[in-house]
Amino acid sequence: MDATGLVVLAAALVVSALAAWWLRTRNGAVRAVSEEGATVPEAGTTSTAVLQELGARPEDADLTVVQFSTAFCGPCRATRARLQQLQTTRPGLAYLHVDAESHLDAVRALDVRRTPTLFYLGRDGALIGRSSGAPRPDELTALVDAHTAVQS
Amino acid sequence: MPQVDVRGPRFGAWVTTVVLAVALLTGSGWLVAAQAVVFAVGAFAGLRYAPYGVLFRILVAPRLGPVREREPEAPPRFAQLVGLLFAVVGAAGFLIGAPLVGAVATGLALVAALLNAATGFCLGCELYLTVRRAQTARTV
Repeated sequence: MDATGLVVLAAALVVSALAAWWLRTRNGAVRAVSEEGATVPEAGTTSTAVLQELGARPEDADLTVVQFSTAFCGPCRATRARLQQLQTTRPGLAYLHVDAESHLDAVRALDVRRTPTLFYLGRDGALIGRSSGAPRPDELTALVDAHTAVQS
Repeated sequence: MPQVDVRGPRFGAWVTTVVLAVALLTGSGWLVAAQAVVFAVGAFAGLRYAPYGVLFRILVAPRLGPVREREPEAPPRFAQLVGLLFAVVGAAGFLIGAPLVGAVATGLALVAALLNAATGFCLGCELYLTVRRAQTARTV
């Protein structure tokens, strides 16, 4: 039995448990974006403007979701499928998919660190919030329903 | 793009976790090196040929029932490459007489494998964008 190995193994298990807990808490949690956070300092522009440059047209829908993904991101695929599925039953939802790798300037301007990162825009163009990591399906549905006119 | 049964990489991650834990407990650089070879096959030859993937297809999959979900191969394959980097440093550390370096690198690989196995989280995939961002920052 290797003493160093035993200590490192124990530490690795603790780190894994903490990371799993952190990811569970953070993944998909929507953070409100403050007025400061909504502006992109070096570019002298707003997050909304950056997203609009990528093709987002918030004025056309109750809620516009912009998703940043990479080819090496498994959860991105599931999140994308979920949003596209929600779109079929919720006309007020618009969805824009952005390949992060081919838009690295926007990635840096918006400080996108993980994929998927989602941005939520209201009809007025205001950034409602953003989230990193794959959201849980029920939470994503609830969020979309809260911002789009649900037809019951 | 080749597709794989999503359960395959998860199974592989569990096996990897156990192998790396045994390697840590025994301080065996050769076991880490063997794991590095496993990673290399998955990363360079493709998951079809990855040893744990083959094990999964032959021994495990037939007992689990039909495939419910497939995913593109690229994300788990990239993760094998990231695992390879850690495992190479780990094996080298143990084998050239720097056991602490070996143990820490192996421990980091174990964290990544265990997280992937238990939660589906893919560390390599998340790091990918971070690395690409940093590259641009340097060239701009």
